[in-house]
Amino acid sequence: MTARAPGARDAAPGRGTASVSLRGLVKRFGRDVVAVDDVDLDVGRGELVTLLGPSGCGKTTILRMIAGLERPTEGTIALDDEDVTRLPAYLRDVTMVFQSYALFPHMSVYENVAYGLKVARRPAEETRRRVQEALDMVGLGSLGDRSTNALSGGQQQRVALARALVIEPRVLLFDEPLSNLDAKLRRRVRDDIRELQQRLAITSVYVTHDQEEALAISDRVVVMRDGAIEQQGSPHELYARPATRFVADFIGSANFLTGRYDGSDVEVRGYRFPHAQDAAAGPVTVMVRPEAIEFAAADEPGLTATLRHGAYLGPYTEFRFDLGDQELYATISGGGLTTARPGDEVRLRFKPAGVWLLPPA
Amino acid sequence: MSATALTPVGRAGGPRFSAAWLPAAAAIAGLLALPLGRPGRAFATIDPDLYALALGGPLVWVVLLGTAATVVVGLLPLPTAQRGDALLATGGVAASSLVVWLATTGTPFGLGALAALAGLTLALGAALSESGRVQGDPFVAASILFVAAFVVLFILYPLFRVLVGAVWANGRLDLTTFAATLRHPLFFVLDNRATPVNEGALALRWAVGGAVVGLAWGLLVRARVPRLAVLTVGLAAAGLVLGVLVYGSGALVTSLAVVLIVAPVCTLLGLAFALLGQRARAAVVRRSMGVISVLPIITPPFILAFAMVFLLGRRGLFTYNVLGLSSSWVYGIPGVAIAQVLAFTPVAYLLLRGAIGSLNPALEEAAQTLGARPGTTLRTITWPLLRPALAASFLLSMIESLADFGNPVVLGGNRRYLATEVYLSLTGRFNPREAAVYGVVLLALVLLAFFLQRWWLGGGSFITVTGKPTAGALAPLPRWLEAALTALLVVWGVFVAALYASIVLGSFTQLWGVNYSLTTQHYRDFMTAGWPVFLYTLRIAAISAVPAMLLGLLVAFLIVRQSFAGRRLIEFGSLLSFATPGTVMGVAYVFAFNTGPWLMTSTAAIIVLALVFRNMPVAIRSAVAGLSQVDPSLEEASTMLRARSWTTLRRILFPLLVNVLVTGLVYAFVRAVTAISQVIFLVSPGNQLATVLLLGWVEQGQLGRAAAMGTVLIVSMLLVILLVLALARRLGSRMVEITP
Repeated sequence: MTARAPGARDAAPGRGTASVSLRGLVKRFGRDVVAVDDVDLDVGRGELVTLLGPSGCGKTTILRMIAGLERPTEGTIALDDEDVTRLPAYLRDVTMVFQSYALFPHMSVYENVAYGLKVARRPAEETRRRVQEALDMVGLGSLGDRSTNALSGGQQQRVALARALVIEPRVLLFDEPLSNLDAKLRRRVRDDIRELQQRLAITSVYVTHDQEEALAISDRVVVMRDGAIEQQGSPHELYARPATRFVADFIGSANFLTGRYDGSDVEVRGYRFPHAQDAAAGPVTVMVRPEAIEFAAADEPGLTATLRHGAYLGPYTEFRFDLGDQELYATISGGGLTTARPGDEVRLRFKPAGVWLLPPA
Repeated sequence: MSATALTPVGRAGGPRFSAAWLPAAAAIAGLLALPLGRPGRAFATIDPDLYALALGGPLVWVVLLGTAATVVVGLLPLPTAQRGDALLATGGVAASSLVVWLATTGTPFGLGALAALAGLTLALGAALSESGRVQGDPFVAASILFVAAFVVLFILYPLFRVLVGAVWANGRLDLTTFAATLRHPLFFVLDNRATPVNEGALALRWAVGGAVVGLAWGLLVRARVPRLAVLTVGLAAAGLVLGVLVYGSGALVTSLAVVLIVAPVCTLLGLAFALLGQRARAAVVRRSMGVISVLPIITPPFILAFAMVFLLGRRGLFTYNVLGLSSSWVYGIPGVAIAQVLAFTPVAYLLLRGAIGSLNPALEEAAQTLGARPGTTLRTITWPLLRPALAASFLLSMIESLADFGNPVVLGGNRRYLATEVYLSLTGRFNPREAAVYGVVLLALVLLAFFLQRWWLGGGSFITVTGKPTAGALAPLPRWLEAALTALLVVWGVFVAALYASIVLGSFTQLWGVNYSLTTQHYRDFMTAGWPVFLYTLRIAAISAVPAMLLGLLVAFLIVRQSFAGRRLIEFGSLLSFATPGTVMGVAYVFAFNTGPWLMTSTAAIIVLALVFRNMPVAIRSAVAGLSQVDPSLEEASTMLRARSWTTLRRILFPLLVNVLVTGLVYAFVRAVTAISQVIFLVSPGNQLATVLLLGWVEQGQLGRAAAMGTVLIVSMLLVILLVLALARRLGSRMVEITP
């Protein structure tokens, strides 16, 4: 299993042609800093692809290179098979929603949204109609005269979205658009963006460091690390079948245990359970999701551990188990019913859906 | 799909024609319709012999054909990037051939050459952008080329010519003038033969004294041997320097002595006023600081020196009429130093006010909660944070003092000063090479100070120094300190007010010191002799202010918001034009533009250009400050909505920076009206300026008339400033918070 997972192409819906395609993209700042290191990526028509990774992984740099705000050191960028690598930003059919929204403070809501059409010298009548449509689309139809400062964060966000949508770009870029909103609003706006993107079938590239946001909004998630693509795939693929420990750890939480695989069974610390995966026999790292752990019945095979700490959280109970040289973290629904107390020895078993084998560390 | 299979076209299939073809066509039209050179100083002279076609010659044909090729290539249906590269080649060959032709033939540039250079620069900008070699649209690329050309031609080239003039003659290195000037008693002399004592020996005694003090101090604090040696040698050297400054004479000694008085005093006074302005309890004290900050801008730098003659001179109102003295103590180092302190303290104040205002009081409070006593807090927190601003204000006072020309002329007495010697050797002794040597010495001193400052600060910068004032409870000053500083401020205020009043009074007085009866004669004289010059000055200043401000904004935009090769050059050039004393720049312009292809002296153009590049750094700084308040993603958002950088500049940055721009425009205008040290080298009979004329009147003893002109200058500039402050306030109310 390699870091660059196969099957990325088949995850792209639409007509099969890539709307955005990056080939061998490299960005160096100065001599030593490599922000983006040889990235190939295709975004299908109407697809929403998220670049996910910790800060400094190069995801925003890729976004800015697609936009034309940064110039790649090497490699090519194509939009609908046209090479735009050397095309300046204002000639590309791409637009962006900024993290800070970047609403022009000296213009009203209406003027902000109309800006792109005015720059393109569209007729006044058409401008008025399209701006109104865009504002209606984001639910701000009656606020055109407002100053942008008089709006709430969520409203500002939607003005920025309307301003980007009104010029009907071929590709829409999002640079952490929700990071300035509070948690509750973030979920709302996230769903709104996804719904709008689906309705307009607009090709989008979305940058975030929030894995939950990435899973919720994307057709396909591209996990990045140190300027390179670690793995890409549908949200479910990434969660259930991470290619590397980094991906497993970054998306959701995970326990990592050393074990052996013989092609049909996995053995971890004397606990043997069946597992079907196209992986080489021999030593492996076993990833176990916290929700895949449950208490084993007395006659079942299981993993022996010491209960160290339990916290009842309503829908599930959070446990920390001691395996001697490492800890196991588990969220067990209905776990509150256990009679085990801290210090007691317990036996645990793994649900097959939450186990995945990784190359040994 | 491989990278090579992609066709290099944009959304619209790439522009059909290059944006370079139109300016290149304008260049060729200029080359054909206007003469390449001119016979004399007048720009508009049409000499049929100096047309490109009449001149002929291989270089001229290369220019013509290269420009024509640029037009043709610009219209060819080639891939954009390749076409850009081709245009770079044709346009580059044409432009460089034209420059080489001008340089080798020495023909003053004509309107045709000007049109061709401008057109080709625009075309090359478009080519650079289209070839993808510069990230940015044709506007940005052409702006970079223009700004770089301006920096080279109007800042680096003149300074280079001065340097060459000092050490180069008849085609080879020639240090005779250099050595002769430095050895001349006017420059520096320690042992004056005319006096019976040996000044050198006297100065040496100071060195010995310093060594003794150092040794004694070292022994007293029981320093170890290395430290003892450092103390002894250091204080001996300091003693020697002081001794030389006290006993020596010549321009170097005098100027250094003045600098060493003025820079620390200005910095300390500036600090005192900044402390009062930010932390005084009485609002009236804080508010009176506004007046202090406006004074240096509206007053030509030597007006106060001139007023000191009225008050403190041989027949001064105070010294003669009140005290009954008839002493000329005010002429010489004390007078010049006082006049400079009066003139430059407000500059130091402005610098330090920002630093004090942005000191975060929480830092001092944090230190105190960690157990630091007030003294410790001052030493470990406040002082390190203020140090960069103090160093900057020290340096700025130094540069201003070294460059100052007017005050030594008025109050210099029989001593020599570096800045005036530059002028006197050029216009009095008709020795341009000696002037160049003095210029190089001045420049070297300023650059030395500059590097010392860099070294002292160790390149460390502190965010809080440049940041906005932080909200928070500023600790008020200790009462005794506030009282002392307020007393200082009152003395200062009374003195300055008396000086200004004496100018106004002097303009209505028959003959100051002799006959105090009132008259309007001086204003009638001013109307005939000075009014036209005054109006001309206003016109020149207004003409120079607009390009200074626009260029400042453009340079700031390029430096702050764009990245390109050569950005360092532009930064360096603007820094250099800021640090170079005006007198040096003035003589440099004489060297660069008196003959040869760039002949421009004795024209209004050269004065305008000098003022533009003198005031550009100020405009750059205010534009940079303004730009740093604007979130860069606003401009990126505009670009993402398909606006080109010119549109972004016009529709986003202009409206957001209107406040800064208007203020910058007016400061450029007022500074142009009150400038002297640079333009005095460049005025000519038809192009007289108010400050130069005023200084001439003072020198000739036409004090009443000079006072009348001074009054008119001060009052009119005050009106302009007040008007603009009111306007800026109104514009300001329209401004909204810029950063989201």
